[in-house]
Amino acid sequence: MSDRFERLGWKNKAFDTLNALFLLVLMLTMIVPFVNVLALSFSSGTASMQPDIVLWPKQFNAEGYEIVWKSLDIWRPLLNSVIVTLIGTTLHVLLSSLAGYVFIYPRLPGRKLMITFILITMMVPQEAIMIPLYVVNKDLHLINTLTALVLSGLVSGFSILLMRNFFLNIPHEMSESAKIDGAGEFRIFLTMYLRLAAAGLATVTLFEFVGRWNMFTAPVMFLSDSTKYTLQVALKAMIIDTSSNSGTYLVTTNVRMAGIVISIIPLLAIYPFVQKYFMKGILLGASKE
Amino acid sequence: MKILKRYGALYVMMVPVVAYFLVFAYYPLVKGLQTSFQDYKLMGDRPYVGFTNYNAVLHDSTFWDAMVNTLVIGGGILFFSFIAPLILALSLNEVLQAWYKKLTQMILYVPHLLSWVVIGGIWIFLLSPDNGLVNMLLVHFFHISPINFLSDPTLARWIVILLTAWKEMGYTCILFLAAIVSINPSLYEAARMDGASRWNQLIYVTIPQLGNTMKVVFLLNTLGVLRIFDQVFILRNPTVASKLDVLMMYTFQKGILEIKLGPAAAASFFILIITLALTLVVRRMTRFDEV
Repeated sequence: MSDRFERLGWKNKAFDTLNALFLLVLMLTMIVPFVNVLALSFSSGTASMQPDIVLWPKQFNAEGYEIVWKSLDIWRPLLNSVIVTLIGTTLHVLLSSLAGYVFIYPRLPGRKLMITFILITMMVPQEAIMIPLYVVNKDLHLINTLTALVLSGLVSGFSILLMRNFFLNIPHEMSESAKIDGAGEFRIFLTMYLRLAAAGLATVTLFEFVGRWNMFTAPVMFLSDSTKYTLQVALKAMIIDTSSNSGTYLVTTNVRMAGIVISIIPLLAIYPFVQKYFMKGILLGASKE
Repeated sequence: MKILKRYGALYVMMVPVVAYFLVFAYYPLVKGLQTSFQDYKLMGDRPYVGFTNYNAVLHDSTFWDAMVNTLVIGGGILFFSFIAPLILALSLNEVLQAWYKKLTQMILYVPHLLSWVVIGGIWIFLLSPDNGLVNMLLVHFFHISPINFLSDPTLARWIVILLTAWKEMGYTCILFLAAIVSINPSLYEAARMDGASRWNQLIYVTIPQLGNTMKVVFLLNTLGVLRIFDQVFILRNPTVASKLDVLMMYTFQKGILEIKLGPAAAASFFILIITLALTLVVRRMTRFDEV
């Protein structure tokens, strides 16, 4: 906030140095654990079990990845996660933007009623209806299916309002003139609004992608058949349930860490885009509601 | 007719969303209320039993343990998830080098993107008494015997609270930073004219100007308190379960694991009512200050 000019003098310099150090320490609490995980995942099984501070692979090899992939069949939960994430995210974005588009018409009869209808769903935490949701899924024969996971959180009030905010930035006259040219609502929505609100689409897509990839409560509730497990549930079984040495056989540390690394890769891959769009989305979502 | 012709397509566009919310939000809500008054079995008769389920929950000491845990852990998370990002934002704001600021933000945001399974898995390992990094460092530098963090009830609660604050601070700090950036620069100029030091500018300009954002963050955090689940589910173990299990965990255990759906539904409604009450109170409180 203050200019460089003002920052001469040893007191200011000392403060700036301490401040930078403070942030460095915070960063290290994030960097060191991940470096540790990465290094261990590329170490040999026996080396990874030694009590030692590991920030570089010991006895470098990819045995951890081989075991986690071939013996522990992590490709199956990985595939399930990919399916649920891709289908769920696509549908979520499409349905939420459809509803968001509807709300840009200020004179639409019944608009207020529909907004209230959506706001109420936002007031009720998903967790509070966990038990009846389980019953509903059971009645629909969706327990132990990936469909249950796709349906969980398929639409959200948050995304609808977020999309609406992005659509509101598009001048209304555009759709008016398109209508005079004879274009229907669906066409205007698909060809104009979705294209012009690309940043909004990207934001909601990323939010949803991350949310679905990390989805945990729903799969824990709806799945008991281990062939349907998603990555998070499989990881939990592999990493956490075995660390209290109750597992049937010992999973070495390098294998566990390899599992963690595999599950993080998709998230790191989209991180550059996240940086670009999240900020905007978070602020839009928090300011107007 | 005219309305239908003009707006018909828009109503059609709303149909899937309305249908979804009816089946997966409103119906479960009603169904849950109904279930809480029933002796609910997955098969056969489901007689209404009045307030029996609610009574059973209120007389269950595990429920009260869970309530206490929720208040203690939730309160801790509420405090630290508020103060940590605030300090972080203020600290970042003082950084002059744009690249360093950007780098810090980029790195501190990462834990928010990762699931509790990953975060919990990493920290359970780091904190383990056998070959965890934290204990190795402690033993190396302070020559103490390894601490079993997650087997000690008090420590385990602290770990849950601090890890949650740590995971989310990079995210929440964005809200504060955005608010700081939008503070009118002339306020700082005026303060400097009056000879205000950096510290004074922070205390008398920046922090008061953040009032509204603080309210928003506090409100958002309050809503999350009763929903704490993933981190507890991941970090708990039989030794500390009675000191960690929060209300959501109680519902999960009753409903999904023990299949006592009636009492579980009753417990859910307590959560719902408390959440709504808490929301109202916080809204009232934050609005009061605005007048």
